[in-house]
Amino acid sequence: MLSRLHSWTSSRTLAIPARLFSQTPIVPAKPLPPRLKINDSDISISYLKGTGPGGQKINKTNSAVQIIHKPSGVVVKCQATRSQSQNAKIARSLLADRVEAQEKGDKSRVAIKAAAAKKKKASKMKKTRRKYRELGEGAKEGEIEEEEDEIEIIWDDDVKEGENEETESETRGEAKSSEGSGKGV
Amino acid sequence: MFFLYDSYISWHQRVESLGTKVPRLTTRIPTMPRIPFSVIIKAQRENHLLPILLKECRTVDSARNELRWLRERAVRDSRSLSSKAGWRSRLRSMCQMRSRGYPLQYILGDQPFGDLEILCRRGVLIPRSVYQIFFKKRYILLISLHRPETESYTYQAARLVRQIALDRNDQSKSPNQARPLRIIDLCTGTGCISLLLHALLAPHFQQLEIAGVDISSTALGLAQENLQHNLQLGQLACSAGTDIRFHRADVLGHGSDSSVSSIESILQTQLPNFGAFDTSPPYQESGCDLLISNPPYISQTEFRNGTTARSVRRFEPKLALVPPHSDPGVEDCVPEDIFYHHILTLALKLKAKLTVLECGDFHQANRVVALHKRLASTESGQFSAEVWPSREQDLADNGFHATDGSRGVIIRTLQ
Repeated sequence: MLSRLHSWTSSRTLAIPARLFSQTPIVPAKPLPPRLKINDSDISISYLKGTGPGGQKINKTNSAVQIIHKPSGVVVKCQATRSQSQNAKIARSLLADRVEAQEKGDKSRVAIKAAAAKKKKASKMKKTRRKYRELGEGAKEGEIEEEEDEIEIIWDDDVKEGENEETESETRGEAKSSEGSGKGV
Repeated sequence: MFFLYDSYISWHQRVESLGTKVPRLTTRIPTMPRIPFSVIIKAQRENHLLPILLKECRTVDSARNELRWLRERAVRDSRSLSSKAGWRSRLRSMCQMRSRGYPLQYILGDQPFGDLEILCRRGVLIPRSVYQIFFKKRYILLISLHRPETESYTYQAARLVRQIALDRNDQSKSPNQARPLRIIDLCTGTGCISLLLHALLAPHFQQLEIAGVDISSTALGLAQENLQHNLQLGQLACSAGTDIRFHRADVLGHGSDSSVSSIESILQTQLPNFGAFDTSPPYQESGCDLLISNPPYISQTEFRNGTTARSVRRFEPKLALVPPHSDPGVEDCVPEDIFYHHILTLALKLKAKLTVLECGDFHQANRVVALHKRLASTESGQFSAEVWPSREQDLADNGFHATDGSRGVIIRTLQ
């Protein structure tokens, strides 16, 4: 009896698809260009010289790694983690980014990434500003109508996607509308 | 900020204020340069916990790093344990512990060693580690790291073992070995050397047999925990669970009166394959390929005169740092070298193909080489004993200071 119940519940949970939180399909961002590879054969390691007793007598916690790229003179230092191997990995990817930025300028991976982030932020700011402006107007004139909202969407391309999401979710019950408003802010 | 001032009064001022005159520069005096007040104020403005950490760290840069690691751990702990106390109070108590010199690794509970994560606990020596990557000579990129310690000896040992195995295969022209590679790690502590050797050698050798030996049951418990921990993390191959074994034994061999059996009896009863007394079955070739050890090597005077850091002296086990006072059986070496005497005798008995030992400084390493010459003079067979790193190039490549710092002794048995 118990086993049957168990099988019933498990089949039930399997049958229901995971609920999506967003109604719009997730569009993957444009893939970034691959990171510049720095050859292992081009790497040499030097150690920062220490003085005084070592071994069992002291217990250092310093794990900093510093990489110098000789042709370009770029210096990167990393002490993010306590493991030097991890620090070396991080420093190497940082260095690759720096060297690429120096070589390619605006077309480098970092520049593209920064530009995308900047655009996203600008659009978000615009949306926020508009929302508060509307709220301010709403306080003066009373309630604004739904249709007016939609007319506005048409002239603004940047905001269109996010706005659509919001209005759609508002039409579907309470649980979603709270989520939509969370997104809007 | 008054509490910080207390430690700034130098050793001399304190002694002279007591009324005794001490001659200057006759003994080695703990040198702890005073931190400028401006630095403390600057640190205080940045974060109110920084000046507390500065007491132990001595530089703002390292204090900043340690504060970050402590904060990360405190936040993580408060989330996972869902304790009533918030992470801020936890962080504060952690910082206060650290300011008293309590090692960071004991507070956080682990220490990276190679790619492994070694758990650390009070009562067991913390592994001294610095990462090292094999490199080629083309000076385009330069990576600077801090000085390597125990870890670099382990890497060097793994490199040599592979080289010896390759040479032997070239001679015998048989790619597959019939017998497993046998490694014995004396005074293993957290088990870090055994585990790292397995991680480094497992891809190149089909069969491995590693024995870690320690006198402390606390250390052995932690070593076993570390083995399981790294297996779970996926840093060790699955075979490590059966390849690595930890045994409790006394390297100094005081077996008769104490509860701990001597290393010889352990080798005879539990590790017959290592070939201590040729008791192994004849069809299976016995022998030990590598004997590696990081034994206690600090002398009584160096432990007290300020050469050994306060944090190490007060919180790490003395058992793992300073050899015991007197050993009636050994007369021909200084007290801090007794472990080397016993280990070298054992290495000769086992006919270990390679012996790697960590020493405190250049002089001690030279003493160990001389000791080996004396012990090996009665034995048949040829050996090459060297201090590593000793050449200019090796020193520079591995970040060792020309005169100071720890050294390794590498002894090879020549066929």
